[in-house]
Order: sequence, then C-alpha cells, then structure tokens
Amino acid sequence: MAITGLPQPPQIHRVPQFRYVDSIRWLPSISPFQKYLTVAFFDTDSGTPSLEIHSLSSSKTLSLLSSWNPPSRISSLKCTPSLIAASTFSGSLHCFSTAGKSLESVFAEPQISVVGRDFHVGPIGGVDLMEGGSDCVSVGEDGRVNLVKIGVEGYHGKGNCRRVFDGNGLVSYTAVRWASPTEFVTGGCGFGLQWWDLRRPGSAVAQFKDNWDQGTTSGIIHSIDIHPSRKHTCLAGGSAGTVFAWDLRWQQEPIILSGVGTNDAKTHSLSESDVWEVHYDCYMKSASSNTSSSRILPAMICSEDGILAVIEQGEEPLELLAEPCAINSFDINCQNPSDVICSLEWESIAILSRP
Amino acid sequence: MPRVASGSGGGGASDSITGALVPFLPDSQDAVVYPLRHGLKPPISRVSISWARGNTLRVSVFRSSPAESDSDEDVGGKVMEVRPGGNVDGQLSDAQWRRIAYGSVSPFALLQSRRNSALSVSKMGLSPSPYHLEWWEYVSEYSKDVSSLLGNPKSSAGPVIEDPKEVLKKVEEPTCLKAAWDLMEMFYADKLSQAWLPERLVDWLADYDSLLSDTQATVYLKLMEFQGRLVTLLVIEDDSRYWEVISSALAVAWLEIAVKMLRLHGSYQLDQLGSRETENGLVEAVAVLISKMPRLRPELGAGKLGECFKTKPDFMKAWERWRAQVTKLESSAFWLQCDHLQTREGLKNMLQIMLGNASILSTATCNWMELYISHILYIRPFTVGLESMYSLAQKCIQLKPMTIPHKLMRLIVGILGENTEVILAECSRDFGTWMAAHAIEFLTAGSDQAEVLLHEERDNLGGINIEELHRLIYAQVLSSHILTWQIAPIYLISCMKQGMGLLEILLYRQPVQHNQLLVKNLEICRLYELDSVSSNIMKIAGVYHWKHGRKGYGVFWLQQARDEVCLNRIAQQLFNSVGKSISDESFKQWEGLIELLGSESKPAGGLEFLHKYRDFKRSLKQVNDGKITDATQQAVESLMSLMKNTSTPQRFWLPILYDSLKLLYWQERPLLNVSQTNLLLNKLQELSMARLHPDFIEADLPPQALSSVRLALATNLGRAILEES
Repeated sequence: MAITGLPQPPQIHRVPQFRYVDSIRWLPSISPFQKYLTVAFFDTDSGTPSLEIHSLSSSKTLSLLSSWNPPSRISSLKCTPSLIAASTFSGSLHCFSTAGKSLESVFAEPQISVVGRDFHVGPIGGVDLMEGGSDCVSVGEDGRVNLVKIGVEGYHGKGNCRRVFDGNGLVSYTAVRWASPTEFVTGGCGFGLQWWDLRRPGSAVAQFKDNWDQGTTSGIIHSIDIHPSRKHTCLAGGSAGTVFAWDLRWQQEPIILSGVGTNDAKTHSLSESDVWEVHYDCYMKSASSNTSSSRILPAMICSEDGILAVIEQGEEPLELLAEPCAINSFDINCQNPSDVICSLEWESIAILSRP
Repeated sequence: MPRVASGSGGGGASDSITGALVPFLPDSQDAVVYPLRHGLKPPISRVSISWARGNTLRVSVFRSSPAESDSDEDVGGKVMEVRPGGNVDGQLSDAQWRRIAYGSVSPFALLQSRRNSALSVSKMGLSPSPYHLEWWEYVSEYSKDVSSLLGNPKSSAGPVIEDPKEVLKKVEEPTCLKAAWDLMEMFYADKLSQAWLPERLVDWLADYDSLLSDTQATVYLKLMEFQGRLVTLLVIEDDSRYWEVISSALAVAWLEIAVKMLRLHGSYQLDQLGSRETENGLVEAVAVLISKMPRLRPELGAGKLGECFKTKPDFMKAWERWRAQVTKLESSAFWLQCDHLQTREGLKNMLQIMLGNASILSTATCNWMELYISHILYIRPFTVGLESMYSLAQKCIQLKPMTIPHKLMRLIVGILGENTEVILAECSRDFGTWMAAHAIEFLTAGSDQAEVLLHEERDNLGGINIEELHRLIYAQVLSSHILTWQIAPIYLISCMKQGMGLLEILLYRQPVQHNQLLVKNLEICRLYELDSVSSNIMKIAGVYHWKHGRKGYGVFWLQQARDEVCLNRIAQQLFNSVGKSISDESFKQWEGLIELLGSESKPAGGLEFLHKYRDFKRSLKQVNDGKITDATQQAVESLMSLMKNTSTPQRFWLPILYDSLKLLYWQERPLLNVSQTNLLLNKLQELSMARLHPDFIEADLPPQALSSVRLALATNLGRAILEES
C-alpha cells in the first residue's frame, strides 16, 4: 500500500499489557497536558475482567488511577466529557460519572447499574452516550433497544430505563450511535441499518439493507459513526472489509468506501477481513477541495487483519499501522486528534502520534 | 514440579526407582500449597480433581447431600480452577510465555515461507539443494528476531558514576531460555563467527554463569559473596579470598573484573605507594599483562580488555609473545623483593593461570563448564572443530563431575557431541514445547545429517517426522489457551501430514457463542480457504443462536452457510408463531427478520414466503373500501403471486384467502377475473382434501371461515363471468 500524502510516518509505541484488551477509549481531560485512557481488560490467568483508568505520560507509560471489576467482560465502552458507559457480555450496563470528581475515585461505585432480564438477555452489542446529554442507548443480540436516562447524582433504580423496541430475538443489533438528541442508528446482520426517531416510536423510521451485491454472502455491522456536522449521513463498517456511508437523503444508494463485495474499480479495497471499528478522522484534512455535504469526510478504520488506516472517498487509503495480529478497537483523541490509541489482539496497546 | 534428579551423570532418561511412570522423590521439600477459597460450610463430603483447559486443574468440592443442609440458600458445591505453578521454566510467567509465543509467530512464518519458496525453486531444478548458500542467513535472521523477544540481559544502562567497590554489575536477571537460545544460535546460525566459537563460549559463560548457580558452585557466586564482604575488609590483600576470587575471575577470562580488583590492592593507596613500590610494580605488571591478553576474535565489547586478532597466524604470534612476557615476569628477580606474602603468592598463582597450569586452573574454577572455558583459554587456545571441543569437554567433565547436571550444561554436552536427538530431548524436556518447535530450525539448518534425521518419516510416529511432531505438540499447547489458539494454525499449517486435520478439529472446537470470537474463527477459515469448515461453523452458530431464541442471528448464519435444509426446518417452526394471522403490531417485530431475508438471490429456504406475505399484508392494509387504487391492484397481485407460489405453506392458504375477503366482495366491480378465481377455487378444493390428512395443521380461524371464503369466491366467480361476457 502506497503511503501518500504523509511526509512522516506516525510514531508508534507498543505497550504490552499481559492481559487481553477488550476495548480502549481516550478520556476527555480538563488539562491539555494530561492524557487519560479508560481500558477494559480481561485477565485470562485469573479470569477477571476489569475496567481501569490510566494516565498516559509523555514517555508513553501507563499508570493506574482507578479500577473496577465488572460482573463479566466488557462488550462496548463509550466516554463523554462527563460520563463513561460500559456494557457487558452478560447484559448489564454500568455508567460512571466523571464530572466534578478526581479520576482516582471515578470507579469507586457505578452511578447507575442496570441489570436483569427486563433489560437485556444475553450480550449487549453496543452502547452510545448522547454527546453533552445524559441518555444512553443500548442494543443487544436479543433484539432489544433500551434507553437509560442517567439522571442527577445519586439517582438509582430501574425507573430511568425505557424499552424503545423489543425485537424478541427476531433481529439482533450489534452497534448503535446517536445522530441527534432524538435520533439514533442501529446496525446488525445483513449489513442492515435502522434509523430510529424517539418522536415516532414503535419501529424504525428508515431501514437500509445491503442491495449492492448480488452475491450470496452478507455481513454484520460492527461499528457506526455519525459526524456532528453531517447528521443525515451514517458511516458503517463490518464484515469483509466493508465500509460504507448511508445518506438518509438517498436511502437506496449507499456510498461504498471499501469492501470486497463490490466490483467497482473506483473503490479501494483495503482489507478483506472484518472492520471492527470506524470513526471519522478530524485530523485528516480532506484532500479534495470539494466540500459539499454529500461528500464523505475522511474516516479511520481498524481491521481483523491488523490494519489501521484512514480512508477517504475516491482517494488512496493511508495505512498508519500494519500489525501481524488483529486491531480490535481504536480511538482518536478528540482534544488532540493527532493521538490515536488502539488495542491489539496480542495483549498489547499501541499508541500513535501523528506528525 | 519436582526436579528429576538422576544418579547417573548426564543421562537422566532411565529413572527406574520403583518402576513408577513419574518418578516421585519423597525427599523433595518444595511442596506447594494452593489455598482453595470454596467458601462452603463444612462438612465437605467429596472432592474431585480433573484436568481443565490448558494446564489448570478443575477441583470440584461437594458438600454432603442438600437434604441435610439447614437452609435452602446453602450451595451444594463449588467448582474451581487451580493453576499449579508447573511452568517448565520457572522464571517465566504464563503471560510472558504468551508474549514470546505471539512474538515468535512472525519470524517463524517468514522462515517457513522462505523455505517453501526455496523448495519450489529447487523442484524446478534451478538449484541443487533447497538449502542453498543463503539459507543460514535466513536462519540467522530468524534467530535474531526470536532472540530479541527473549530479553536482552545487557540492555540495562549502568550508573554514570561507577562505584569503585562494585565488582559485579547489576544487570537484569537473564533467563535460561535466552541462554539456551543464544547457545543454539552460536553453534548453528551464526556461520560468520564459527572461527571464534571458543571466544563466543567465553562470552556466553560471562553472561549466563549466574544461571548455572542454581545447581552448581560458580565463580559468579564466589564473586557475589566476596562483594558482600568487600566493604568490611580493611586490608584487602591480606585476605586469602581476595586472591582466590581474582584467580577465578582470571581463569574464566573476566579480565576487567580481575584488573579492577587488582587495582583495589592496598599498594595503590597514596600513603603506601612509597613503601611498597616494588609490590605495586608487580601488581601493576600483572594487571597490564592481563589487559593485554591476545584474543582470537574480531572485536570486543566496550570496556572489555584484551587484544583482538582476526586471523590465526597473527593470533599465534601474539600469543607466543604474550606467553614469553608472562614467563619473563614469572622468573623476574623482583619477586624476592616483594615482602607481602599473600601478594607474592597470589600474583604468582595468577601467572600460573596465564601459563596454563592445569591443577591451578582446576582449583580456580568451580564446575566443569568453567574449567572447560579456562582450558580453552589458557591450555588449548588453538582448539578448532566440534570434535576436539567435545573431547576436551569430556575430559573436563571427568575432572569435575556434575552432581546435579544443570539443564544448560546438558544442552551444551548435546551440542558439542553433535547428537541431534539428545539436543531435541533436552530442549523439549527442560525448555518446553516452544523451544523444541523453534529450535528445530537450527538443527535442520545445521547439517544434512540432522536434516535427514528430522525429516525422515517414522512409522512409530504415525508417519510423521520429528519436526512435525514437535510443531504439533507446540500447536496443541497453543490450542489449549483461549488467547493463543489463534496462532496455533500458523504452526499446524506447516505440518504436512496431520496439520490440516488438526486445524479443522481446532476450528470446530472453538465456542460459537461470542460473535467476535466466531468472526475471528471464520477469518482463519478464510485465510486457509477452508470453505467447508467455515460453512459448518456457520451452521453450528446458526443453530446455536436459533436454539437460544436469537432467531434473526440464527437465520443470518444459516443463510451465510447456505443451509437450505436447516432453513426449511426452522421455517416450519417460524410459521407456527406466524400462524395466527399476524396483527399489525407484531408484524413490526418481524420487519427486521423479513428485511434480512431480503432479495431473492439469497437462499432463504421456505422463509422467502414471509417476505411476500408481509408485502401482501402491507398492501391489504392500505386498501380503502370502495375506491380502486394502486394499493388495491397491488394487493390482488400479491394475493395471486402468493397463491401461485409453491413455497407458500398450505396452512397459510386459508388465512390468506380469509384476509382477502374484502377484495372478493369488492363493491364497484369484481377485482379477480375468471381464471384467477378458478385458480383460487382449485386451491380451496385442494385444501379441503388436505384437511382430511391427519398431519394437517388447522389455522386459528373462525369455524365458518372455509365456507365464507368458498361463498365469496363463488360470488366473485359469478360476477366475473357476467363482467366478461
């Protein structure tokens, strides 16, 4: 893969953890000189999962600030400046408030824990926190879509949890992302995307189903992202290296950014294996001067075959990292987008600093 | 794990103490206690122990029967996993082993692909041997990559200001694994430095003598002990240990340590320099001689003493010159003027070491390995060839027999004796399966003879060769852990005979519950083009999800696996729940599943019916009484296509027709023409016949449904005939 447009490759530090890293996120910090991470670990030697906050020093060493043991492994992790939400494979959701607290005490006790058969049965596929708000949406393999209101300090109980939809297992959801305070998008099998509007309850207001390939294989959506300035467009990544954008204004025509299912010569196929996570990359300035709202902004992906890359519509992909093992999750520091962190299959973390 | 000690030196394989399979040593004191936190109230009635995954034991603790327990809340028993600390190399934790396992994947895979391309080149007749000239360079590169994983004992930076009394530098504790790997690399991979092999052994001992201290007396231990006493000694040269230690350091050519210690001699102190001038001169002369010792090697590390000579003639000349200088000093007249007895004796002793006095070398060294090194250095500095090195080693073992042979020493004996089987046996017994699987690359690259031996197919191993055997064993170990099973395929794929079969078993054995794990498993199938395995795994996953109520997931995976049979079967189950004419509300739940079934190109078994049925229901809902609209036409088309389609289950015929009553009684004009109505009537007739069959599933409809549909159809037929005539 040609490295283009980047004068220098990023600096890469690999930090072995001796534990499996289930998920990793930057934690927004108040001070510009401090960098914090929240990491979901799984220690196979003792069989214990843990959720930890670490501070990252300039010499790329991690030091533990706070730790908490969830009831089972973390399936999805999200952070906003004031909240951390973590869902588990056993179907529970745990939220922690970071506002007005020292990071050492964040994991002392969850602000809200939602557990039980009324919530989710089986693994939770994804959670998302509303930016600047206090609503957490969770979707699961059981086909349920739940909304949890994280209220004022000290408010506990199940009254703040609301069922938006119950698919009764007829569908399974694997990813979710807020689009606006009342809308969110879910993803699942068959490259299916569903657009939900809380003002029109009962069912999804728009559905997307892969119809670009006439082949016989399909896939699962693993990750969804929506850019705050383009709320009508939903970016999704999943099986077979597929990354596409679905614009609500042209619902039947997905814009395929990468994937093997297409015979389109214009689409660059970066990877043939599963794309585990996609995020818009605000660090990359669009190479094209065309800034129309229908153009898809640059996005970063990580894949099962160990590739971390930036892709852009109609451009050659830019590979940042090629590992011999899978990259399971990554996050771009929203305060300093040149910093990227990712979790590697072989029990380590890679920290990238882009020049 | 009790260390197996055998009486016979070196052998160790024939432990026949009491005919036990695993020798049990009653005198081993290192029993380990593993506390079990079962949290059960006594009495405990039964404990069962069995193997769990990997190297863990599953301990099940049972209380006496629950009927006797006082309250219902008491747990009847508990199952725990205990990990005995049975690491082959006690210095490495499981997590560190995993890190080595991960890191060695890429070098191993690279070497295999190079071997395969070399083999294909030789098959085409372009090169006479697969192991052409550059092969050892590849092995050397492989070796360096792996070696860097095992830690670098020389990496730690020393303090800026050196402690004058610190003789031994504190370095990161080396591991036996690294020591063993270095040894193999030295003998097999590094062809460039074959000429300097003895000197490399000297360096090796300097790096790893501390490891031998586990079971042997060593110079390293002596030095450590003396360093502890150093601070308390006032007149250092009066202490006999001081001279002993210096001689020992010199005997194994730790020259800089010997020189540094010599310069701690009291005569160097300014206030004594005047009165002990001759003594000081002698000490310094010996120190200078030591630091000028000729070495047959291209270079020395920073801070190391000695003079390097790359070619043998140069070295021989220098050696003779140096020896002459030593002899000259030995017979010097200045010794008579040296009043200090210990100094005189000590220095003379050192000169004897440099002159190669065998008995003094023997007293200065602690074990045969050290003695061997001292012999190589001072008695037979021109030793070349493994054969002569081996006979020298044998001689040293006789002089200083091992009581408890250290595993590294056993390995050295095997290497020097060029005994491939012994080397492999030592590798796998003492350094674990990882070592055996990876070190075999050295042995096959080492000599043609070893290559033939290791690649020979053996009937007693089920037709596989020794190389494959060790790779399979290692892959088995990798497969037993939930984090390392993913790298086992790399090793299995390099096994020609049984690798593929075991790989399929490994892939089938992985749990399908976790979506992520399942995807990773399928990815491996894709990489190795195991399409049938992949589709079987998808079927397993599909049925698993279906059984656990995740119907959508189940259908998805079965569709991916193109399993029409399973899809048809679960379709029947699904229809049971759809059976009752679906209300609008519940259809929203089905929406997602129906979307998934999607386009007709994908196999869906009987499920594609659902898609049409949904369209029919949807258009029927939009039909307004009285006016003919597009929706009405649509509804009629859907109705006809459903009834014409053979995949529409019979049990739905009546509900569909019953739902479309309002189409049949259309006020304005008959919506269905004569032939359409006839078709529906025929279907109805077929249905009436089928109802007599005992297997028929009755739809949940009012009893008069059939007759009202028949009436409606008849009415419509009449109107249609009138219309058309």
